[in-house]
Amino acid sequence: MATIEVLNSGFAATVQDLGRYHYQSAGFPVSGAMDQASLKLANLLVNNDANAAALEFILAGPTLQFAAPTFIAITGATANPTVNGQSVPLNQALAIQAGDQLQVGPMTAGRYGYLAVANGGLQVPVVLGSRATTLKIQLGGLFGRTLAVGDGLPFEPAYVLPSLAHRHAQVPAVKAPTHIRVLKGPQWDLFTPAAQSQFLQQTYQISQQADRMGYQLQGEPLPVPRENLISEGTVLGNIQITRNGLPIVLLADRQTAGGYPMIATVIGADLASFVQMPAGQDFHFELTDLTRARALLTRQQQALATLAASFAAQKYQAPVGPARTGAQKLAQIITHGG
Amino acid sequence: MNAYHYHYVPMGESALDLVLPNKIDVGQNQLIQTVGQQLLAQKIAGVTAIIPAYHTLTVNFVASLVTYGQLTQVLDRLIGDFDPQQAAANSRVLAIPVCYDPEFGPDLAAVAAYGHLSVGDLIQMHTQTKYFIYMMGFLPGFAYMGTVPKQIAMPRLDKPRARLEPGSVGIAGAQTGMYPVASPGGWRLLGRTPLQLFNAQHPQLRYQAGDYIQFTPISKSDYQRIQALDLAGQYQIKQTILGDG
Repeated sequence: MATIEVLNSGFAATVQDLGRYHYQSAGFPVSGAMDQASLKLANLLVNNDANAAALEFILAGPTLQFAAPTFIAITGATANPTVNGQSVPLNQALAIQAGDQLQVGPMTAGRYGYLAVANGGLQVPVVLGSRATTLKIQLGGLFGRTLAVGDGLPFEPAYVLPSLAHRHAQVPAVKAPTHIRVLKGPQWDLFTPAAQSQFLQQTYQISQQADRMGYQLQGEPLPVPRENLISEGTVLGNIQITRNGLPIVLLADRQTAGGYPMIATVIGADLASFVQMPAGQDFHFELTDLTRARALLTRQQQALATLAASFAAQKYQAPVGPARTGAQKLAQIITHGG
Repeated sequence: MNAYHYHYVPMGESALDLVLPNKIDVGQNQLIQTVGQQLLAQKIAGVTAIIPAYHTLTVNFVASLVTYGQLTQVLDRLIGDFDPQQAAANSRVLAIPVCYDPEFGPDLAAVAAYGHLSVGDLIQMHTQTKYFIYMMGFLPGFAYMGTVPKQIAMPRLDKPRARLEPGSVGIAGAQTGMYPVASPGGWRLLGRTPLQLFNAQHPQLRYQAGDYIQFTPISKSDYQRIQALDLAGQYQIKQTILGDG
């Protein structure tokens, strides 16, 4: 096991995978990556399982030093990362040598960025089936908290890994969507027809109150149903209307249960573009149906599957550099005495 | 066949809600708990998680592996086969020690006055009931339990306290609960359990929805003793089966 040393922690960087799904019935938030599509892409680029643990960072990425060679990939929000001061591309597998310094720097479009590391991702302990961090209860990830300067993130070095350098994805530049598609929620019918059409016609923006638990939206308040509701389960993308008539969209660190009426749910295919949208950007909700929502999600999953198949179809690549494997074995023997 | 009134509603394309009538009812909730457990036991490819609640069962699934229609068929069958007598008889009853000392229960006097009771009678009333856990949620280990006897079912504080200590036991109307971690809260506090209800290093929980909780009054010296035992991992929660008692 080697470590990645944190030289600069960036802003609110946490270890995340696809989430701690199985313990919601006991009240554990799912957590996991906010932009799951970008996490899956990052993992695919370095030949990991989709659920491997990666680093998620918000608005400003960390500066890291690698103690051993590996491959990495950076996806999600737009940034201008450098390795040892040289600019490197996003959405591509990058060979890293022992001692290399990666500076992710500030995001220039979007909110959430991801850094995946080859050979199974970040090897923090698995807690209740997941490596995801839930900050509120200090669970999972690296000591249940955000990164701090001096932290060491454990990973398995890739001494004998074939080159992944051919792996890159064409990802369109992060662009804020003008509409977000939704399905009717469990309490849709409790809202008056006027409230329903106001919800679909008016322009909303994401407010400054936007974090991993949820995004509060700003717009004209809706008339709120008077019914007294009892708490029920929540899912990713539920849109609750709180007492002030404004929506809050429940995201990765959401509470497992809630008592506000859920007017609608953001469809899976639009979640990634929604979480990456900047504050203050106009958009509106568009109603769709179950068949269409499923088809859109399937299309997104097929795009990733096609990319995976194209990587697999490319012929075996020799280890990077003629003597990479041998030299690294030697380095290992010198360091650890065999 | 059972004649339950229920329907299904999509929660996005990757989850659905089984919805029963909007009420708090042990029998109805036992159906939800049982059907949820049986659904998981079928190990259907694509079913990722369930969230049982008072009157709903949320089922999360991978839409490319299993469809809404397939799941509602399975759920229909499980509901049809549900045996209410068996579910009720198999429930666990867990004894949770609570120290009802004014230091831990700052609202003891107010709740006693609300119920026209002495503090001693209030404690007796709070501890003689077996409280059913309808659901877990909002925090890991927070159990939504009922039903508190009407005489002491005092509503929440108007202004929540900024911090309740872990282990705090209180009531909010007909509900009673214990705080697993420090949190703001408006519940009327009656006491505190010395047991560690949530520990991020060992996050497995000691009770689940569908269990009954019965509070056992303990002295302050017992509180210290049990707390030390529990921290050392040597305290076993006393457990009985409802049907046996």
